[in-house]
Amino acid sequence: MTDAMQFYISTLLIYLFIDIMGVLGLNLQFGVAGIINFAYIVFVGVGAYTAAVVSLGPDYPGNFQHYMFGASWPFPLPILAGGVAAGLLSLVVGVISLRRLRSDYQAMVMLVLSLIATLVASNATGLVNGPAGLATIPQPLYDQLGLNPLEYQWVYAGWCLFLTVLVFLFVRAITRSPLGRTLRAMRDNERAASAVGKNVTLLRLVIFVVGGVIAGISGAVFAEFIQAWSPGSWLYPETFVFLAAVLVGGAANNWGVILGTLLVPVGFLEATRFLPPIFYQGFIEAMQWVCVGLLILLFLWFRPNGIFPEKPGRFKPRATAQSRPAE
Amino acid sequence: MQQLIPAFGFGLITASILAIAAVGFTLQFSVTNILNLAYGDIMTACAFAAYLANHAGVNIWISLVVGALFGAVFSMLLNRLVYFGFVRRGTRLFGMIIVTIAVSLIIQNLLLAIFRPTFFTYEASQGPSYQLGSMVFTASQLAIMGIAVVAMVCVHLLLTQTQLGKAMRATATNPGLARSCGIPTDQVIDAAWLVSGALCGIAGVALVLNTATFSETTGAAFLVPIIASAVLGGIGQPYGAMLGALTIGIAGETAAALMSPAYKDVVAFVILIVVLLVRPQGILSEIAAAKEVAA
Amino acid sequence: MSDRLTTSKVGLSLAIAAVLVLAACGSSTQGAKPKTYTGTLTFASFNPFTGPDASFGPEMAAGCIPAANTINQAGGVLGHQVQCIAVDTRGDPADAVPAAQKMIASTENLVGMNGPSSDEALATVPIIDRAHLPMFADSGQAAFDKSTYKYFYRLTPPDDAAGVAMAIYAYNKGYRRGAAVFGNDLSSQGNVPNLLTAFAKLGGQIVINQTLTLDQSSYRTEVTALVAASPDVIFTEADPQTDAAYLSQLQQLHGLIPVIGTQPTVQPPWIKAVGGAVGRDALSKNFAAAQPFSTSQGPAWDVYNKALLAAGSEVPQPDQWSQDPYTETDYDAIIIMALAMLEAKTPDPSFYNALIPAVVGNATGATEVHSFKEGMDAIAAGKKINYVGAGGPIAFDEYQNSTGAFELIGYSTNGSNPQLAVVSAEDIAKLRR
Repeated sequence: MTDAMQFYISTLLIYLFIDIMGVLGLNLQFGVAGIINFAYIVFVGVGAYTAAVVSLGPDYPGNFQHYMFGASWPFPLPILAGGVAAGLLSLVVGVISLRRLRSDYQAMVMLVLSLIATLVASNATGLVNGPAGLATIPQPLYDQLGLNPLEYQWVYAGWCLFLTVLVFLFVRAITRSPLGRTLRAMRDNERAASAVGKNVTLLRLVIFVVGGVIAGISGAVFAEFIQAWSPGSWLYPETFVFLAAVLVGGAANNWGVILGTLLVPVGFLEATRFLPPIFYQGFIEAMQWVCVGLLILLFLWFRPNGIFPEKPGRFKPRATAQSRPAE
Repeated sequence: MQQLIPAFGFGLITASILAIAAVGFTLQFSVTNILNLAYGDIMTACAFAAYLANHAGVNIWISLVVGALFGAVFSMLLNRLVYFGFVRRGTRLFGMIIVTIAVSLIIQNLLLAIFRPTFFTYEASQGPSYQLGSMVFTASQLAIMGIAVVAMVCVHLLLTQTQLGKAMRATATNPGLARSCGIPTDQVIDAAWLVSGALCGIAGVALVLNTATFSETTGAAFLVPIIASAVLGGIGQPYGAMLGALTIGIAGETAAALMSPAYKDVVAFVILIVVLLVRPQGILSEIAAAKEVAA
Repeated sequence: MSDRLTTSKVGLSLAIAAVLVLAACGSSTQGAKPKTYTGTLTFASFNPFTGPDASFGPEMAAGCIPAANTINQAGGVLGHQVQCIAVDTRGDPADAVPAAQKMIASTENLVGMNGPSSDEALATVPIIDRAHLPMFADSGQAAFDKSTYKYFYRLTPPDDAAGVAMAIYAYNKGYRRGAAVFGNDLSSQGNVPNLLTAFAKLGGQIVINQTLTLDQSSYRTEVTALVAASPDVIFTEADPQTDAAYLSQLQQLHGLIPVIGTQPTVQPPWIKAVGGAVGRDALSKNFAAAQPFSTSQGPAWDVYNKALLAAGSEVPQPDQWSQDPYTETDYDAIIIMALAMLEAKTPDPSFYNALIPAVVGNATGATEVHSFKEGMDAIAAGKKINYVGAGGPIAFDEYQNSTGAFELIGYSTNGSNPQLAVVSAEDIAKLRR
């Protein structure tokens, strides 16, 4: 395999692992706890920005980019900071929106939040350098490891795999725990769950924050890899790509959402790069979003529980054949 | 400070468009329990329908009627062919929001694929300007405000004075009970989508008359204030939506006059958050409370 | 190569540079000998084709395609035909990184490219440089003013130079009260800091500085604030819909005042939107725009324009790019790379890259050439060449930037853009921060 091909494949793997992390966090919120978080990508973005500013070093006059709170924290503090920052934001947003709001209100408030967050990041140029975003974010331990770029890239892929496995085990533990069972119960019937004495709001808040932390970590790892982050990287439709992965794979099923990630953000959006341009440049891109929309509709119609539904017993081999037209 | 009164006047223009759109949006939710997040994109589609008519040589005000008719029929069919199918298959509120987003992606990007990434303008003149105190309005802006007032009065009369309106309200409050009382709820729902779709179409064309040019994302960009108005007024409440639209429209413009215009939408959002903290069910909320049981 | 070693100091230093490059290559998998190529060589237009900056890509592809056609008509490069491909970065770094990796990994005989743009340059330039792929960026970021990337070239000036050019022109026209009205997007905001300082240094005053949130339905309050500040000129760049709404509302509430825009405000979508909103007459009376100076005439431009207009089947509405300085320099970039390949006697970028400055170096005695064909014949005759491009003469500084003057152009109702003034590179350099 050529070096270039190795670069490409390792990049795709890194994207896959990072997306899986993100989708697992969303699945915890949506699939397990039933919270519709249309602002999920905002928490990814916050994690990314935080990791960036605490590793870029202090800002100085004449710098080509300007940002708040510059520092040069060593690995792995920026990643942890990304998780903490996203968790804190989740706490604030959760306290406001989960407390007394009905789920449909929550969904809309989240969507609005996602749009507003982009506006603030773009307009408040001193915060995270406005629309230009941040660049030259240092890659963790690059100098210390002394590897050539390709070796480093494979090490980074291994690091992402390691983090993804950790997140997976953690999310699975939550899903299987009594907490997870309570969460699913309240997702399916909130009133009944609260009637048997479960503090629904508090539990949802906990899960919301945990999901936010995971989002933040995935964003931090992502920004440290591509070494750049701008408002264009976390526009609100990105959340729907993640959501589509959850729905396609099977909400609340962690293996299912991994498959969903493989199919939607990585497979589907990446495969279209290989399509030859037809009609005019941009046509494929537009039709790609049309297909993401159709894919979601088809899955909700034919397999509302995804390829791997929540209850293990309900999985039938026929499912794969059925899902094929939608792929 | 002397900018405040003109800003209030500009706020009235935005509020008029917003009111038409928000009432349609909230009507869809109250009668069918669907939060149609494709609403902004349907507005854009209606604006394109009016554009095609306008460029075929039709007067802009007749084109507005074309846009309204397109919106009515399109929305009704969308509900019949897509949304209602999902509802019948047991897709819940959660799922329905995702369905509407999928539809939004499809509509917006189909428009992009068909019309390409460029900008469109109606063949229309703004007409002479009129000075009202320190507020300035063009003839077409006055017409938009007039249309908004007429539309609001019509919605009011429809809901309170007609058999259909009463049936709509009954369906909104409790569809099961309404059906057992002999109300043909399916037809009522069709009618609700026709009416709200027409409002959506009018709002779409009025929006474009206001922005001068438009592209496939114009309506979707307007969805935030629509949602904010609807939520502010108590979702599902037509009168609340009118009130919400007035608040958001005027607050946005006056905030732009007093502080940085970059934060127009942010101000609307802060108002929304504060109101939700104080009064999570929105300003007006009788149906909303009843709805919670149904949802 | 040995005969050239003795001919000039330029040649010597180039040879040293080439040796350094070869040494650098030695440590990677590429051998000390040029790769052998079979079949068609590929140039990429690596830019946004979708998203908010979707207009960048077609503008760039419109330069590559006619360049490839003229090369092929001259018999190709070293026996190879050449072609252009479009690589969509989707306008953000997260999408551009895998796009770059995919392009490098899976494009056969990829030997050079145009791009990246400001949207993705900081994230992708290191990747492309590491892959030893010469790139002629259209990024306007000042961060690349002192680029040390060996494979990075730039034929267009940084964005912030445009701000200075706007200020100088406005001051010379007698305007003293400027209003800065820019969108909150990356490319628009890049102009602002230098515009503000340059206009103040000249003795003007920025009476109001507005940052517009894009695509709002109403900017009337902003317009009222603008009118209250009573400026005599507006400096602007924003996306077409935003400027169209803003300026048409200004027209309604107050009437237009002179407007000075930037290169994006002379692109077809902007002219269509704003011209539609305020009327073409108003546009031609009140508007000017600063763009990188290009003669848009002369022998090289004639070759370019003829090839562009003949490419109608591949480039939609080719005439819209006839006077576009970015399209012209994108065309030039392909020609320069092809000529460097002839000099290096191989299309292998690791070898020809170091010779890129040599084909435009106007050392004494070099033969001035204006097309690939002329350059090829001159090289075959053993002459040193100096390619003067469709966008004008090219001279790289030590950072491989070639930046020149700006011109101010107007908008006429028939769609052409008459030149109003030229602002020299020296004047700009004096006022740039």
